[in-house]
Amino acid sequence: MSASQSAVRSRAEAVKASRTFDWLILFTVFFVVLGGYHIHYMLTGGDWDFWTDWKDRRLWVTVAPIVSITFPAAVQACLWYRYRLPFGAVVCVLGLLLGEWVNRYLNFWGWTYFPVNFCFPSNLMPGAIVLDAILMLTGSVTVTAVVGGLAWGLLFYPGNWPIIAPLHVPVEYNGMMMTLADLQGYHYVRTGTPEYIRMVEKGTLRTFGKDVAPVSAFFSGFVSIIIYFLWHFFGKWFAQTTFISSESL
Amino acid sequence: MKILKDKVAKLSFVALLITVTAAMFYVPTASAHGEKSQAAFMRMRTIHWFDLNWSKEEVPVNDTMTISGKFYVFQGWPETVDKPEVSFLNVGIPGPVFIRVGSWVGGQLVPRSISLELGETYEFKVLLKARRPGDWHVHAMMNVQGGGPIIGPGKWVTITGSMASFVNPITTLTGETLDLETYNLGNTYFWHGLWYSIGLLWLVYWARKPMFVPRSIAVEAGKADSLISATDKKVAMGFAAGTIAIIAFSMASTNEKFPITTPLQAGLLRGMKTIEMPAKTVSVKIEDATYRVPGRAMQMTMTITNNGDSGVRLGEFNTAGVRFLDPEVSVDESGYPDDLLAEEGLTVSDNSPIAPGQSRTVQVTASDAAWEVYRLADLIYDPDSRFAGLLFFYDEAGNRQMVTVDAPLIPSFI
Ligand SMILES: [Cu+2]
Repeated sequence: MSASQSAVRSRAEAVKASRTFDWLILFTVFFVVLGGYHIHYMLTGGDWDFWTDWKDRRLWVTVAPIVSITFPAAVQACLWYRYRLPFGAVVCVLGLLLGEWVNRYLNFWGWTYFPVNFCFPSNLMPGAIVLDAILMLTGSVTVTAVVGGLAWGLLFYPGNWPIIAPLHVPVEYNGMMMTLADLQGYHYVRTGTPEYIRMVEKGTLRTFGKDVAPVSAFFSGFVSIIIYFLWHFFGKWFAQTTFISSESL
Repeated sequence: MKILKDKVAKLSFVALLITVTAAMFYVPTASAHGEKSQAAFMRMRTIHWFDLNWSKEEVPVNDTMTISGKFYVFQGWPETVDKPEVSFLNVGIPGPVFIRVGSWVGGQLVPRSISLELGETYEFKVLLKARRPGDWHVHAMMNVQGGGPIIGPGKWVTITGSMASFVNPITTLTGETLDLETYNLGNTYFWHGLWYSIGLLWLVYWARKPMFVPRSIAVEAGKADSLISATDKKVAMGFAAGTIAIIAFSMASTNEKFPITTPLQAGLLRGMKTIEMPAKTVSVKIEDATYRVPGRAMQMTMTITNNGDSGVRLGEFNTAGVRFLDPEVSVDESGYPDDLLAEEGLTVSDNSPIAPGQSRTVQVTASDAAWEVYRLADLIYDPDSRFAGLLFFYDEAGNRQMVTVDAPLIPSFI
């Protein structure tokens, strides 16, 4: 077959080939993003995402959205500018959560026997859907970053609350009050994760008293805006095709 | 076309395997068997565990056992290790094969980190409930912030039965009794399943239509705006509004179902109760100490002075959890792990009682394979080649007295 000859001979074949590429690309994007995003999230979010006794009202709420808006922002940039496809954030979170669940189920539970109700991942889907919808409806990076980034931070805690609230029910345990989540951390022995490395309920938001979660969520949202911009431009730069001239295509 | 397709498929499959495995092979540290590889000076000069007792050697699932004993926080704590100002009483087991039902230092429950003082002795107890069948090495352990885990002696314990029968019932302050082993699991799967499905639905909506090639061509041709239809916009608004609605609804229903919740509890516990040790009436001065590499023996020349009112004899030398006993004076009846016990490992050149007011210089030899097995002999390669340990003296009435020693150690290779 010479280079000038087309690989397809009819419109039907062209459509079929195009569709095949669609699935191949989607499949590859899904798993490459899964791998990269998963490693990134484990290194930056780490223990905050692994254990229920780290999922507090201050640092988890702040850290998890900030470190997790990265890949969605970058993949959105690529898929939106080159294809006008508005599922960058959702595809990232679908990949990440699949990877997280496989890891938690097979390794944390299957290999080390930590109960799944102690080491399940955080839910990031609500923020991802809203982020994609805003990008599609406005077509604007600025609006997506500001409104979407803020929403990403704000929706995180309420999106996870139905799952973690049952674990924040208090228990009286040998004369001390603990939550069920604290008790999970105490019962299910982690030799490599002593209590003192747990970073929970630390910070300077004491003046807000009980309502510290919304304040942390707002703060997280503001930082997410900045991170969104940053990673959006990484994504845009990464998706450029100036390395290949159009003649050679 | 077919070949190209196969190649792309194959390559992407390889990429998939690599990325997925790279990300998924993370397992939280489970093993606790770093005991022998930990630097010898760490084990000899930080926390001295003694009077240890493992209440059982075989436990059925759901039954409990305890590890109890005392630990002395060494006065001559090494410079290179952070002081135990923030520490956590742990147990060295391979993952949650037992659950820790309780742990106490000086009678106080210590689910959180504690502050320890150098030169003090503490009593501790850890209550464990068997969960996973198997033979497990169960260690006493102290995590020290900036110092890492300090692993104490370990003993093999067998758990029998089946993990499927394990239960962990807890009664909350709201009066509900639940099994913490499986509690909230269905709820977790439900919400994750629901949100994952919604995300998948959004992806499927776009993947039904041609994606990359035609859309890329349209964008390049400047017709990007034509790619988003009015229906698409309505669908997006539906997804966004639906997301907010589900969040609002699930927040409200959760708060209604769990009106009482408290934040996670954290904070350092200070002022742990120490053991009042009896006033020391025996003093020991180490004249010199050598470690004979070929003989696996440590030899100390020490001057013992008895200022008490009863004759004393040296019964035991304990370092890094290895106990060298003089069977004439001291016999272990606690079932101490064999590999850490040298029942006849201690030889004293003259171990007749040292009378009150008397002072005597003796040769003390502590020899056992444990020096090599537990890599304590590696001490001679440590940056600060000093040894430390506990000496136990017994008076005529059988009262015990603990004296700590801390001196330079000179190796001898012949
Ligand atoms: Cu061990």
